[in-house]
Amino acid sequence: MLTLRLLGVLVIVAVLSVLIFGMMHLIPGDLVRNLLGLRPASPETIAAIREQYRLDDPIWLQYLNWLGNALQGDLGTSIRYQVPVADAIASRIPLTSMLAVMAMLIAAVTAIPLGVIAARRHQSAIDQALTGFSVIGLSAPAFVVSLLLLYVFAYYLPIFPVYGGGTDFGSRVYHLVLPSIALAVGLAAILMRLTRAAMIESLASDYVTFARSRGLSELTVLGLALRNSSIPIITAAGLVFTYVIGGTILVETAFALPGLGLMLQDAVLFKDIALVQALVLLIAVVIALITVAIDLTYAVIDPRVRRGRRAS
Amino acid sequence: MSRLSRRFAVTTAALVAAALALSACTPAGPSRSGDDTRLTVALPGSLSNLYVGQENGILNYYVASIAQEGLVSLDAEGQIQPALAESWEQVDDVTYVYTLRENATFHDGTPVTVDDVIFSIEKAQDAEISPGFAWYLGGLESMEETGERELTITLVEPDATFATLMSTVGALYVTSRAYWEANEGTIGTGSGLLMGTGPFQVTEFVPDSHVEFTAVDTWWGGVPDLESVRIDFIPDENTRLLAAQSGQIDVAFNVPFTQASQWESISGAEVQFVNDLSYVGLLFDLSVAPFDDLKVREAFAHAVDREAVVSSVLGGHGEVALAIPTPESLFTAYGPDGAAAALAEGEQFAFDLEAAAAALAASSVPEGFTTELTYPATGPELGRSALALAANLAEIGVTVNVREVTIEEWLATIGDGEHGVGYMWYFSTTGDPGEVISYLYGPENPSQYENEAVRALLAGAFVESDPVTRADLILEADNLARPDLASAPLWWGQSATAFLNGWSLSTPSPFVFTNPWPTLLTKAG
Repeated sequence: MLTLRLLGVLVIVAVLSVLIFGMMHLIPGDLVRNLLGLRPASPETIAAIREQYRLDDPIWLQYLNWLGNALQGDLGTSIRYQVPVADAIASRIPLTSMLAVMAMLIAAVTAIPLGVIAARRHQSAIDQALTGFSVIGLSAPAFVVSLLLLYVFAYYLPIFPVYGGGTDFGSRVYHLVLPSIALAVGLAAILMRLTRAAMIESLASDYVTFARSRGLSELTVLGLALRNSSIPIITAAGLVFTYVIGGTILVETAFALPGLGLMLQDAVLFKDIALVQALVLLIAVVIALITVAIDLTYAVIDPRVRRGRRAS
Repeated sequence: MSRLSRRFAVTTAALVAAALALSACTPAGPSRSGDDTRLTVALPGSLSNLYVGQENGILNYYVASIAQEGLVSLDAEGQIQPALAESWEQVDDVTYVYTLRENATFHDGTPVTVDDVIFSIEKAQDAEISPGFAWYLGGLESMEETGERELTITLVEPDATFATLMSTVGALYVTSRAYWEANEGTIGTGSGLLMGTGPFQVTEFVPDSHVEFTAVDTWWGGVPDLESVRIDFIPDENTRLLAAQSGQIDVAFNVPFTQASQWESISGAEVQFVNDLSYVGLLFDLSVAPFDDLKVREAFAHAVDREAVVSSVLGGHGEVALAIPTPESLFTAYGPDGAAAALAEGEQFAFDLEAAAAALAASSVPEGFTTELTYPATGPELGRSALALAANLAEIGVTVNVREVTIEEWLATIGDGEHGVGYMWYFSTTGDPGEVISYLYGPENPSQYENEAVRALLAGAFVESDPVTRADLILEADNLARPDLASAPLWWGQSATAFLNGWSLSTPSPFVFTNPWPTLLTKAG
């Protein structure tokens, strides 16, 4: 089962690599112009650059070339940065993964309790207020939230730095507090609404009524209901991870963070194909692996899934 | 419920307390005001490579000029001054002799040799290593070490721009052969950095984040007062402004005009507007219908209200362009007053909607037509000017769809054979009067404009060494080509630089930032 899933991931990555390669040739822009800027250039100079990056080869040959190298572990050289693609990406992974993890954590520790509170006080003023906030959180673009946070917590109350990514671990966490909150707002809004919806259903179930009638404490009852609601919540959390990746582009721009989101945006614009390929495939693999990981957690959470798998 | 919400409140309070504790023990921000040994500079864009031959945006020149030098430099007036060469002379039309300084030393302490200079020029000539420089240095016949510290360069044919090319505004950033060969393939990246001779050495470069410079004692010009310079790349303009308002920035390049008053209102701040040798004009592609019709181009030229654009769109921070060469580029030949007088002599297309309507009526598309005008997102003033032009043209029946695109997409539209009208937005680093016009009217030009008389005048200017005769030829070519409307000049631009926390620059000039400019800054108090 797991092997099959991982094979599926490989197929998706292979198909994606072809698609991206093709699409990079369709988007506007010209690599040679990007390298030369508005400079006059002799036909020889242009020919030398086209030759250097093999731009005159047919697209399929360029792709096969890339594929052959990639299969041998060589992802090519970034034209924009003039360093190996693997190095360029590796240097950005710590910052962006930390940003994403912090944002997910912040979203989870705020949204799930709030969702539970809203569900428990279904249709009360608190519920309506929280639902209202979630609508605002969902609709506020990440760059607006970023700017608002900067104004309040970096300028009026100078608690956090305005920009930059920090150097050591401690200062990096500190620098990433505001960016991860900015990224977490939209996530938390989605998670809160899903938690609320799942909990409302669970709390209306017979087992909850029965548990209450047995005199179990309210906290134990909520714990039971939350565990039974956790499959949709975790599934949603995995799916909204894709939102995090889109959001990092905006947040990294707003806080001047040298991360993967910013790198991907610039690489696409510059037509730095090798870098775009590697970045998109990395993202695809991460998303696919998270989906697999979520499937595996079902078994941990739900004994029926475990038993079902054993039976098959 | 009450227990739950209390627990939530306690958790939140603990998180806030943790954040506050963390903020107390970690230094906030990269720099604080009041420090006069450390300079923090904000750049609006990001650099991905420090070697100017590889990545050659105007900001790359400003950054690399802190650490590297050419044989000569251009002073505030654009006059050639000694740099690594203590003296130089032009022996004949094609021969230049440079004598290196005796005390010229690289950051690693090794002396600069003639061989290092030759090596640096060879790297600049290589289209694969230096796509940005290769075109300039194609006309060299030979480079020879003709004496101790003496380099003789011979050209294939006379080139009036050559003397300037040997500076950092041109195409020469002298580096060490030994260092380059030991770091082959990584020069300009975070692992290879740059090796130069300037007052500051690059000590750290994180692409898209920052560059860090430290003062050295090896510079022939002495030890700078500043101990370090840090350049942060902050792409978002609001974040940049907030960082400045929080006192974290000492110098900021390219302040958006729309934000200038907010920057000026920061305590201890000064915003300097300086003509930046940029040219903005409409560019027509003569191979694209209906712009192959001169009458259509005339309609466009008459529909632009350049005075209104300069006063309202640019807020007066620019000048109506009367020709392609900027006034500053003609100072060497005519002086400031003479340049203004010479530029005023050419005939202009005046703003006149009736004339525009008449030209359109006489054209191949008398009923009007629809076209697209793209502008780069980094030039919002180009966009507003395009909208003003579109409004005027709408009155005579021409629909112009104005579209903002990325700078990369905009670059690709120039001379693509599909866009009949577009913008030309050119920052000249050399300040040479022939630089932009040769690109617009010379061989391989983006307008597909063929005029032998104009080409002959420009070719004559290329080999002419007398500045006045040369400028005369260039202006004659410009005036001769103007009625053909391959290009319609709009304005000569300015850039706004903010100096904060009491820092100032006493010699504002378009050439100042291609010198080791941090040494020219002073701090009040």
